[in-house]
Amino acid sequence: MRLFRWLLLCASLILAVILADLCRAQAAPRKPGELVWTIGYDPKTFDPAKVDDQESEQVRYLTAGVLLRFNRLTQKVEPRLAESWKLSSDGKTITFRLRPGLEFSDGSSLTSRDVAWSIRRVLRKDTGAPVAEEFVSPADVTVDAPDAGAVIVHLPRRVIGIGKVFDEIAIEPAERPSEGRVTAGPFVVAEYRRSRFVRLRANPHYAAAGGAALPYASGIRLDVLENHEQEIRLFERGDYDLIDGVPPDYFELVQKKDPAAVRDLGPSLNTEQMWFNQAPNAPLPAWEKSWFESRDFRLAVSQAIHRADLARIAYLGHATPAYSFISPANSEWYDHQISAPHTDVAAARAALARTGFHLDGDTLQDSAGHAVKFSILTNAGNAARMKMATLIQQDLAALGMQVNVVALDFPALIERLMHTQDYEACLLGLENVDPDPNAMMNIWLSSSPNHQWDPSEKAPATAWEAEIDRAMDRQASSLSMTTRKQAVDRVQQIVADEQPFIYLVYPNVLVAASPHLKGVQPAVLEPALAWNAEDLRLDGQR
Amino acid sequence: MKSAISIARWLARALAIVVLVIAGSTVLVRFAPGYLSDAREMDSRYAVAARVELSQETARSHSLLGMLSAEIGGWAKGNAGISRQYDVPVSGLIRPRLAVTGGLMVRSLVLAWALAIVAALFSSAGRNPAAVWQAPSTLLLAIPTAAMATLCLLSGCGGPVLVMALLLAARDFKFLHRALRKAWLEPHVLQARAQGIRTWRILRFHLFPSLAPQLAALATLSIVTALSALVPVEVLFNVPGLGQLAWNAAMNRDLPVLLAITMIMALAVTLSGVAPDRAGEWRSA
Amino acid sequence: MRFNRSVAALLVGLVLVASIVLLAPRASYSRQDRDATLATASRQHPAGTDELGRDRLVRVSAAFLLSLAGAIAASAITTAAAAAVGTLAAFGPASVGWLAMLACDVFLALPWLFLLMMVRSALPLTTSPANSAAITFLVLAALGWPACARAVWRGALNLRNAEWMLHTRASGLRPVQIVRHAIPNLLPLLVPQFLVCIPAFVIAEANLGALGLGVGEPLPSWGGMLLELDNSAMLMQTRWVYFPVALLVVVLLLLDAIAVEVE
Repeated sequence: MRLFRWLLLCASLILAVILADLCRAQAAPRKPGELVWTIGYDPKTFDPAKVDDQESEQVRYLTAGVLLRFNRLTQKVEPRLAESWKLSSDGKTITFRLRPGLEFSDGSSLTSRDVAWSIRRVLRKDTGAPVAEEFVSPADVTVDAPDAGAVIVHLPRRVIGIGKVFDEIAIEPAERPSEGRVTAGPFVVAEYRRSRFVRLRANPHYAAAGGAALPYASGIRLDVLENHEQEIRLFERGDYDLIDGVPPDYFELVQKKDPAAVRDLGPSLNTEQMWFNQAPNAPLPAWEKSWFESRDFRLAVSQAIHRADLARIAYLGHATPAYSFISPANSEWYDHQISAPHTDVAAARAALARTGFHLDGDTLQDSAGHAVKFSILTNAGNAARMKMATLIQQDLAALGMQVNVVALDFPALIERLMHTQDYEACLLGLENVDPDPNAMMNIWLSSSPNHQWDPSEKAPATAWEAEIDRAMDRQASSLSMTTRKQAVDRVQQIVADEQPFIYLVYPNVLVAASPHLKGVQPAVLEPALAWNAEDLRLDGQR
Repeated sequence: MKSAISIARWLARALAIVVLVIAGSTVLVRFAPGYLSDAREMDSRYAVAARVELSQETARSHSLLGMLSAEIGGWAKGNAGISRQYDVPVSGLIRPRLAVTGGLMVRSLVLAWALAIVAALFSSAGRNPAAVWQAPSTLLLAIPTAAMATLCLLSGCGGPVLVMALLLAARDFKFLHRALRKAWLEPHVLQARAQGIRTWRILRFHLFPSLAPQLAALATLSIVTALSALVPVEVLFNVPGLGQLAWNAAMNRDLPVLLAITMIMALAVTLSGVAPDRAGEWRSA
Repeated sequence: MRFNRSVAALLVGLVLVASIVLLAPRASYSRQDRDATLATASRQHPAGTDELGRDRLVRVSAAFLLSLAGAIAASAITTAAAAAVGTLAAFGPASVGWLAMLACDVFLALPWLFLLMMVRSALPLTTSPANSAAITFLVLAALGWPACARAVWRGALNLRNAEWMLHTRASGLRPVQIVRHAIPNLLPLLVPQFLVCIPAFVIAEANLGALGLGVGEPLPSWGGMLLELDNSAMLMQTRWVYFPVALLVVVLLLLDAIAVEVE
């Protein structure tokens, strides 16, 4: 009996150890000189013209040869494949002069013909390139290549920040689009294993500005990994070299172990906000709609929210209270003079009383006696947002409002926001990749489907929305920076007064980089760490 | 002849199940919220592209019959349709993942049963109270899979096989412990023990044969449980298997991929009902 | 028998303690002490606070009563349904059995996630947290039975062909009486199923939070507290995150001990 027991026990233990060890969580082995980090999901495409999601964009950023690059650190447009570029005084003609002796990664030479072909391909309707829209009317743009070293682009009308648009146009060999296999950028797509990794190798023919032998790294492996827990663990083990965007609680965790590995770069350009559904066709009772359309109601909610608590508790201090859509990180456009309603519960109560709301016991009621009760929708899987919503629930309970917090998966949430309009209030974030407010046109124009609180208005529903429309048009068409700034400041003030979006916090940019990684220059703009990937290298490499 | 009829009957049954499952899943997925929406609609850079894709999908999914016939057309072509999220043939997505998931399933089931049987033998035969064995199995049942995954990562050992095996072993143990304890107390087993027959012989000739039907029932339950544990385990451990694919497909409302996976699930479930039977017959033959 | 009584007394004691904690003056599961988030045990908060500064002891007590009641009820329903379907399929006419098992197989393979999403979208967003919790447990009960029903059916089939069963049938017992004799013999399958379902449902409820179902904030959910364990950052902060899981294990062991006596 005893012998039998021991035999069985030993056998099963051995079996367990063998089987368990076979399946340890670990990343694929690293090639010499290779950098490794993660992307959240499989890129939808490697065709640089068709990029329409973030991860494909990261691959394009690392592989594409571009005429101009928007430097994420200096926030200036710099020439890359172009030696120089010139914008005519009316803003309608751009002349690029290419650097001499350019080559693609397969050794073939890169001339103005390739450049013109690549730009035309992006502009063509059948390519379906999302970038084309930034030219406003892409069909009317013409591209000429007068000689092997020059390219001229004619625009039908002036486009704000046209230089940055060329940051997104990859120059490919004419008539030979290769889905990133042949590029003029620092890296080339070498291998793709779906749901495992994308492997990029260094482009031996890459001609960096200044003549340095870049990139330093022999390649980059982008592991497809969504799980932050695993990412952090593998980062700590040295399997991953950097993390762009560390969740706040893990930031603290890594910081405790290795303070030098993480950095808080201060507020990002992104905002977290809450808004009430003001769409006239929303399937909500009329009295609820009238609350949400009431400026005093929105103002009271905004004043009742303790933003400092949101930043301190939901983000563990790694966020900054927000009162406007422009972040203080965006120094050029941030308006210091803006007067926005700050936390003031007494003032909130007064604002509610002004519009006929009154307390019945602990419950707030409107003038017709309806209890003020609504839901805040947010997306599932974002811990910070869920915490913010719960904190706001408590803040609004102080006014007598009864709030339900509901988290939905993204498609279900988007369906309610964009299609059925079946929601009361929503808490979401907005990512801003471009500091220029012109990029936010489609959020502020009342006719836009992304005009979230009341999408696709046929005519501005209120006077202040009409004024926002005018101011945004003014900033988009003016040649003078002062006029543009004044227009954007005006929009910021209107938004602060009317509170269609109740801004909550600017999440800070949190990054982690291995101490062995050299050449790191974190930037507030995305990709915060990978933006200068060609300069990154591991210790011990040259 | 008899076996041919039984095989034909089984095939007919499997076919009925597959057809019902496909029709059911199509309805479920198509009418679930968010089928015709896309997270990129919120992103100003990609909104237009997303809307174009959605309008195509709206046109495509106008009628359920049309959708079903398109899917069946995809199967007839042999590529199982085109994935909505990846834009590649579904068969190409599934094939490399089948082996991964199959390996995970088999290894964890074997390990789970080994652990559960050993634990149940000791707990049911031993004189000491069963709590020594009950406590760890209860603990394993009470910890969410995600927490087990985190513990594995923190301790730097163990992976999907271990977590899944522990998960299954804990459940199986609960059943096996009871079945075995009852069997040990049966009069003929008691007498055999009293006569000093060796434990191994009692197990081999008295205990297991009388327990075989119950073990078969439990095997079915265990396989079905393993199938449902696949998704969380593969997602948490980033295993490139069918469970992970199913989760991505669900989150992206990728109907062709989901249909292919539910079909595989349906076949696996029917097989799980058959396998223990056949194994039993083969043993008794 | 004495063992059984003391176990039951322990369980009742736990329920009593939880109720007393909840009914104590100033006890609130939703009040946020924002200056003491993730605090360790103190006079004010005997089991510390959670990430939003809510008293952990009060929250665990409330979740204990709410989730446990929900999960036990759901588990009982689902086990009863499995027993009913399984025995009916085995002892009823062959065609009924065939259909029932076909339904089980189809049921097991369908992607129910989407049904849950539909349930959510059919409910108004202002459904109160308590109602949402009740609906969630009902849905779980409705979806949990097929796997067990198959096992029960298999077990019951063997019973039907057992010798003593043939005797009972030959001696002219009515089907209802036969089933009454069969059920006790299926207990080795049903009791563990009931016990296994309880923690599974507690955890499933929390996972359904991602679909907008489950126990809504600010009501505490036991599963939600268990899920805190998957965050290693959290595990480093305070040992009290293990409190809910420890309590759940104790409760399950007590239930297990009671089940042994019942059998």
